[in-house]
Amino acid sequence: MSRDEAIDRLWHDRPRDAFVRASVWVGFALIVLSYAIGDFDWGDLFSPRRQANLARFLIEVRPFPLQGVDWNWGVAWNWATELLADRGAQAALTTLAISVAAILVAGGVSLGLSLSAARNFASVEPFLTLAKPAPLWLRAGWRVICNGTRMILMLMRAIPEYLAAFLLLAIFGPTPVTAILALAIHNAGILGRLGAESIENIPIEAPRSLRALGAGRMRIASWVFLPELLPRLLLYFFYRWETCVRESTVLGLLGIASLGYWIDDARTRGHMDVLVFYVMLGVAIVLVGDIISSIARSLVRKAS
Amino acid sequence: MGPDAIPRQSPLGMRAAVLLSLLAAGGISLGYLGVAISDLTPSSGGMATAWKFLSRAASPAFVSEARFVPADAPPLIMIALDAAWNTLLTGAAAMGLSLVMGLVLGFAASSAWWRNPGVDGGTGLDGVLRRSAAPAICAASRLLIILMRSIHELMWAVLFLAAIGLNNLAAVIAIAIPYAGTLAKIFSELIDEAPRASARSLRGLGASGVQTYCVALLPCALPDLVAYAFYRFECVLRSSAILGFFGFPTLGLYIRQSFNATNYGEVWTFLYALLALVILADTWSGAVRKRVLA
Repeated sequence: MSRDEAIDRLWHDRPRDAFVRASVWVGFALIVLSYAIGDFDWGDLFSPRRQANLARFLIEVRPFPLQGVDWNWGVAWNWATELLADRGAQAALTTLAISVAAILVAGGVSLGLSLSAARNFASVEPFLTLAKPAPLWLRAGWRVICNGTRMILMLMRAIPEYLAAFLLLAIFGPTPVTAILALAIHNAGILGRLGAESIENIPIEAPRSLRALGAGRMRIASWVFLPELLPRLLLYFFYRWETCVRESTVLGLLGIASLGYWIDDARTRGHMDVLVFYVMLGVAIVLVGDIISSIARSLVRKAS
Repeated sequence: MGPDAIPRQSPLGMRAAVLLSLLAAGGISLGYLGVAISDLTPSSGGMATAWKFLSRAASPAFVSEARFVPADAPPLIMIALDAAWNTLLTGAAAMGLSLVMGLVLGFAASSAWWRNPGVDGGTGLDGVLRRSAAPAICAASRLLIILMRSIHELMWAVLFLAAIGLNNLAAVIAIAIPYAGTLAKIFSELIDEAPRASARSLRGLGASGVQTYCVALLPCALPDLVAYAFYRFECVLRSSAILGFFGFPTLGLYIRQSFNATNYGEVWTFLYALLALVILADTWSGAVRKRVLA
């Protein structure tokens, strides 16, 4: 075999999957199609009117006391600290508190849901093969519980946080409860699926031997799943918390007293300098959240 | 030997400390927010609204419920399909833009293309440039990625609305910026974690940085990248629908309008359109990921 033939053979035998290739092509075609027929007006984006808007915005972004005068760091510092003391710091803490409460509710709820969504656990006789099959109604019952939970999890995931908050707003009003529930629903859906997948991938030996000794489901869950999976679940938990911090900022746009509320407030008043200041404050708390989360995750990795 | 053979201790052990401190954080948060269990009882008006809304879940509207419907208005189903189509197109456009930006930024932010022990030495201009400019580019792109990622797509939308006003492309760009940042972060990490042996031998044979990157590093990271891109496609549809709340013609716009007009049947029609779209994407991307990562 010549060298070229060998290369051809390698190229020909490379692993590939018809479905994945088709999917990539469909995705690519969708993107091309979206630009070809979508209602996107590039001309308008760069039109003189838009440019005038942008120019005005860039002037108004300058801190108000410094508009039209020379830059002075002392004045800028006073302006920033006043905004922080006024409501910035409180709004930032509210945003963080909402995200922490929400992810904890989501984590707690997902623990239960992931148990009943795991195919190997939510079955007639988990981890064991029965000598004679269980009655049909029992098997059907467990199937309903398992698939039902999986469907509920999918619905919870499918509803975006912002939409859930918008709908819950009509029931609870613009209180932190609305934001916490909205974030918790979506994230419990995600954490629940991840938890169920982790349980399904657990090595079978330990739970099987425990089950053969006659241990109940809850005992298997607490003595096998909890020690085995807690580190991984904590990693997922902190990853999701990072997105919760971002989302909890945004939910303020609906009138809940997080940072987003004051961002929207500044926008409606036309105070572009305040708007940008609060957006940057949002960046700061997202960074704080990311740093705390990455420290926690590396501690979890080290401990496991 | 029965279940009693299992020791009767707490299965938590040291883990209890971790879980307890998390619970304490939750307690402090709820205390700061002033949230009590009683807040979970909705107001009487809220209860009535909730009931009116939920009772329409099984009977979504098929024709418009508005009091005055213009004679030339398209049927509700067509509006819902059109909004879903717009949601898909906006999402796909944003995904395309973020893939391009994410790949470029991810390349710049990965250290694999410039950190090549044994090759980047030399006192010539090339060596000096490689040691000074490349780390600077890398650090700058990492900073940019952090900034892009830390502002939510809805915040970008608010900023664009404030800066230039309503334009459908602004929605695409607003979504694409944080998505590109996240994609670039994941991508640069994938590249940096990819096995380096083949890259090193190619460099040793005299291949340039870009050649090594395209031939040795990119293919290693490609399956993970495809899997991640498909996962994000699922998210981009949700983001694109939500941007409708700010006036862009995606599903969120119609959900907001119908809900505010208390036409709850219509809300459910649009909600089901959104659920169908998202669940379809969820299933598709799940299937792709399962095969790619298998």
